[in-house]
Amino acid sequence: MILRTAWKNVWRNKTRSMVVIASVTIGIFAGIFAVGLMNGTMEQRVDAAINKEISHIQLNRETFRDNDDLHLTLDSIRERNRKIRNMAGVEAITNRLVVNAIANTASKSTGIQLIGINPDQDKKAFNLHEAVIPGTGSYFNRESRHNLALVGEDLAKELNIIRYELHNATMDSLRSAGIPENVLKKLNPMVDKRYASQDLFVKDLKKHLTKKMLEAHGQKIMEHAWTFRERSRLTLTFLDKDNVQTGGMFRIAGIYDIKNSMYEKSHVFVQKKDLQQLTGLGAQATHKIIVRIADREQTKQITEALRDAFPALQVQNWKEISPDLAMMTSMIEKFNAVFMIIILAALSFGIVNTMLMVVLERTKELGMLTAIGMNKKKVFTMIMSESVFLSLVGGVAGMIVSKIILMLTNQNGINFSSAAEGFEAMGFSAHIYPTISNTFFITVTALIIITGILSSVYPAIKALKLDPADALRTE
Amino acid sequence: MKVLELHNVHKIYNGSEVNVHAVNGITIDFEEGEFSAIVGPSGSGKTTLLNMIGGLDSPTEGKILVDNTDLSTLKTSDLIDFRMWNIGFVFQSYNLIPVLTAKENVEFIMNLQKRPKKERDQRTMEMLKAVGLGDRANSRPAKLSGGQQQRVAVARALASKPKFILADEPSANLDSKSTETLLDIMEELNREEKITFIFSTHDNRVIKKARRVVTIEDGKVISDENKQ
Repeated sequence: MILRTAWKNVWRNKTRSMVVIASVTIGIFAGIFAVGLMNGTMEQRVDAAINKEISHIQLNRETFRDNDDLHLTLDSIRERNRKIRNMAGVEAITNRLVVNAIANTASKSTGIQLIGINPDQDKKAFNLHEAVIPGTGSYFNRESRHNLALVGEDLAKELNIIRYELHNATMDSLRSAGIPENVLKKLNPMVDKRYASQDLFVKDLKKHLTKKMLEAHGQKIMEHAWTFRERSRLTLTFLDKDNVQTGGMFRIAGIYDIKNSMYEKSHVFVQKKDLQQLTGLGAQATHKIIVRIADREQTKQITEALRDAFPALQVQNWKEISPDLAMMTSMIEKFNAVFMIIILAALSFGIVNTMLMVVLERTKELGMLTAIGMNKKKVFTMIMSESVFLSLVGGVAGMIVSKIILMLTNQNGINFSSAAEGFEAMGFSAHIYPTISNTFFITVTALIIITGILSSVYPAIKALKLDPADALRTE
Repeated sequence: MKVLELHNVHKIYNGSEVNVHAVNGITIDFEEGEFSAIVGPSGSGKTTLLNMIGGLDSPTEGKILVDNTDLSTLKTSDLIDFRMWNIGFVFQSYNLIPVLTAKENVEFIMNLQKRPKKERDQRTMEMLKAVGLGDRANSRPAKLSGGQQQRVAVARALASKPKFILADEPSANLDSKSTETLLDIMEELNREEKITFIFSTHDNRVIKKARRVVTIEDGKVISDENKQ
């Protein structure tokens, strides 16, 4: 009876209750969605780092990571490979040769890390082969009498391996991408012109488009307008095993895009056999054994097992190789907690305020209830229940809205293409798939109920302190 | 049989400048089945006296016994329970719960008393019929007139089977016709069911109907007239 009356009391002032419920709903949705967005961003970053950059665990000679000494190769590589492959939880391994180098083109040069891989073996540990931009070549699939190199999109741009041009096919693809006709009309004078760099292309764009058009569509136009220069070459210079400067001319095998500008700018992949030959390190030379495991949750245990098996080697997992990722993951978790605390605190204040108003407005009625024999426990329960109902209705609505919107956005992702450059500069994809674990959902539900209960304590105590005779005199 | 006894009851309110002696040494008792009115001008101490009789306020001095129980010996929580089982209240401004129907309002106190559902349903309808509102059981207070709301309040007060009913200015917000109907119903319940009614009023229509009129002024009983 008390609960039924409390439920009816919630709807006594429909507008006020709806405002409170709507604010709780919006607050919970905002909190959960923001957390989902942050989780999604971070998960994608960790996945990208593991799948394309560092994998789960790496083994190398003790001091190799500190000084990148070319001579610190691993011995007994076949035996080590076999031993690791046979360990529980290991999905795949790959051997890499890592050499510091300078990449040169006719117009520019820059320092890079040259990674020698066996493409067939590497495919099993990384999915870099899936990141090759269509139309720019392939993942060492074609036979060539030249040395081949796979370069990152941002390095390609920096070294001017790409160019910009607008032709009829580009205009059609821009039209399909939603660029308005008036903008396309303004681009007409640029059709069939070739631009050697992004700067030159942007300079001409600025001449033809208004600032507003450039802000709204510039990024998309640039994404469609760049093309790879066929049969481009670059020279890679590095030291050989005798510390003598050497190098070679490499044809571009393809251009990869892993949505991480820093990595793309500093990592060039070549075939290990070419690098072994050019450095004179020999056919078995390997600096790193990279291990991909079946379950990320097992990282710590497998790392320990590898340390036991290879005490002379440095064994590091992804959290140790990239402490920034581990730190960011833990920071995001803390940030999420703080964010939810702020949302729940706001929810709490909203409920306290509303319920205090309720107690104030119903002073006479509460006095009457005490007068006719409703004891303090029941008055307390009634006021508490009203607060809990308010927060529960808003909370559950917020959870449902969040779940639906998260499900929808998780399927197609949210594209922050206008800020893509900034995201990719930090190694994050601009296309985010928000994600929330079921545990988080359950935790938030529990927290909403607890917040509702805690928020109602103060107004309920206020109601208890009412003197029935005084309360009945209230007008 | 005495249902209510007051022995030298005083109530003093401590004001910031002067103390107000709202009830000043009243000694009086009420028998079962009385239909009495406590009358007096505004500020005479009627409501204070009624609040003390109802256990909503405590006397500064003196004793109030309801059915031989001294109210001052009861703890706050026991006093609430005591009110629930022994005293029915009818307030000037009806004080019904607006989100509940007439039936639910009447049933509310029986719910607090944890009476079985069958008994609650039966008594609720009996009480509503007794006040002439059997057909408005499912109406909310906002859909009822002032007189009808006050009749629901009377039904609610009766539902708990109290020793007596305290009605504080029950006709203050009612027109003549509604007042007459209400008083007729209460008088009939008093005669037929032997329910004790104690009114606090300065309404002549109520005073006329009352069989005993206790007049107080400045917190003192100045006359006690039994019309029977």
